[in-house]
Amino acid sequence: MITMRFQELVTTISYKKGIPNMRITYTPHPITDRPAELCRQYVAGNDPITRQPMLEEIYASLTRPPSEEDRKAGFLKRDPRPRLLPPDTPDKLMEYFHAQGFTDGSPVILPTEQKVKEMLKATSRKPDEWVGQMRPSPPHEAWYYTVEMVAVNAVMAGAKPEYFPTILAIASKGLTSMFSSTSSFARMVVVNGPVVKEIGMNTGIGAMGPVSRANSSIGRCWTLISKNLGGSGKPGETYLGSQGNPLNYGNLCFPETEDGLPPGWNPLHVQKGFNKNDSVVSLFSGWSINDIAWYSPLPIYDVIRGWLEHFFSYGTTQATLILDPIVAADVATKYPSKEAFAKYLADNTGTPGWLYWSQNTAALKQAQSGVEPYATWLKQGQGAVVPVSRYNRGGGGVSRNPSFMAPRSTDEPANSINIVVTGGGTNTFWSGGDFGYAGSGSVDQWR
Amino acid sequence: MRTRKICFLVIVLAAVIAASYAPAADEKVVVFNPRGIQPDIRKIPMAMRPATLDGKTVYMVDTKYAMTKPFVNELLAALKAKYPGTTWVLREKTGMYMDDDPKLWAEIKEKGAAAIVLLGH
Repeated sequence: MITMRFQELVTTISYKKGIPNMRITYTPHPITDRPAELCRQYVAGNDPITRQPMLEEIYASLTRPPSEEDRKAGFLKRDPRPRLLPPDTPDKLMEYFHAQGFTDGSPVILPTEQKVKEMLKATSRKPDEWVGQMRPSPPHEAWYYTVEMVAVNAVMAGAKPEYFPTILAIASKGLTSMFSSTSSFARMVVVNGPVVKEIGMNTGIGAMGPVSRANSSIGRCWTLISKNLGGSGKPGETYLGSQGNPLNYGNLCFPETEDGLPPGWNPLHVQKGFNKNDSVVSLFSGWSINDIAWYSPLPIYDVIRGWLEHFFSYGTTQATLILDPIVAADVATKYPSKEAFAKYLADNTGTPGWLYWSQNTAALKQAQSGVEPYATWLKQGQGAVVPVSRYNRGGGGVSRNPSFMAPRSTDEPANSINIVVTGGGTNTFWSGGDFGYAGSGSVDQWR
Repeated sequence: MRTRKICFLVIVLAAVIAASYAPAADEKVVVFNPRGIQPDIRKIPMAMRPATLDGKTVYMVDTKYAMTKPFVNELLAALKAKYPGTTWVLREKTGMYMDDDPKLWAEIKEKGAAAIVLLGH
């Protein structure tokens, strides 16, 4: 049984799982947070799709014999995949690409044989070598792709050949940038190492904005790869984000400003176990970022702490701070490393009472039974801050993890706060968001 | 000498034209298919159904989507009332909705005649 809003999803998933005639009963949508009396009416009524009485339909589905066809094994039909498309004019091909969902809604560079050939020259890997597999979300099937297929999408995104190893490194991680969830996920990729200067990524003013071909086209390519090689992005079927997320157009794609790191602050890729001279992509998963410059008599590290304490994204347990180099320099006067600053933040951020109690029902029961310290915390009211951090791993945080089902590091640090430095130093701005680290990959392996 | 100069200019002009050549709007071009490779779909034969549920056990597997318990409880109550000859067993699946629960599936295979999996959103 499923709510009627997901008819397309459940019928296509059933087909792809090998049961094309799965028996499904639908309920009205939504079913969450509906009072019992309304639910009783729903159950006594009809399936809103088939118009059959709901209970009788369930009974019949459980007892009606399957057809002879449904009892057979074998393979189901799939559309053929030609390597080249039938010749046509550029205008008609562009319209075809849009109609097939190959684009992100804006025109792309048509992947002609010559352009793909040029792209492939930027790697030593063979065109038919497998790069990886990707799926819209765990219940979905994974699609597979080769170096040549990634090159086709790199051309479409407007990438120069020299960006190709970085794009291959992203593709090799198998992480879709358009995760299919009703909650409209976003992704972020941070590039570190010599490749940043080699390919001209913008680490300065506007590093996260649309002012650099490298930053923009690499980020855009991740979305095209996710749609065309990972099967994501078909609304209702392989993409369910209710409102969608504007970050999905090009993702957050920027390099760390390694030249702007304060002394003692390691680049992100070094924190993740790579050497400083390695070129690396690091992927993150979340939903949103805030861009903040809050002038205050408090030191900036305390402003960030206060923001983090009350930052709310449905109880997220991870955060990523993107600091301008001049903000990092201010913070570094107190904290000699990113790790020290992250520890300070994790150790000194509590959780707003209303959030803590809504997400920790076991603690609430103990509080109501007089068990300390929960009882005292509860007495302080919903508006008080409970001294339990959401960002220390195993610290009693709440349940939502934005990188769920993304590859997780086996040697995770003690807290879930990541810090990256980028920007041009024109103002004391910093960004913070609910992005969690989802893994890093070598660019050098794809040169 | 003059003829050689003219020939040279013609060659240079031809090279410039060739270098700046772009397909005309109505000229057909060949492009790559940008799609990846979809896996084969192995068909799973559907199980035979019992002719009746009287005297049988049917599991209701709740995937525990947030705040859907009222509907699950109402459905269970309605099925019990309408089909009292059947034993309706409500079980919560482990983990989140995408997590597998092989122990529960094994139990249903052993003790159940059928199962309903629900619900979401």
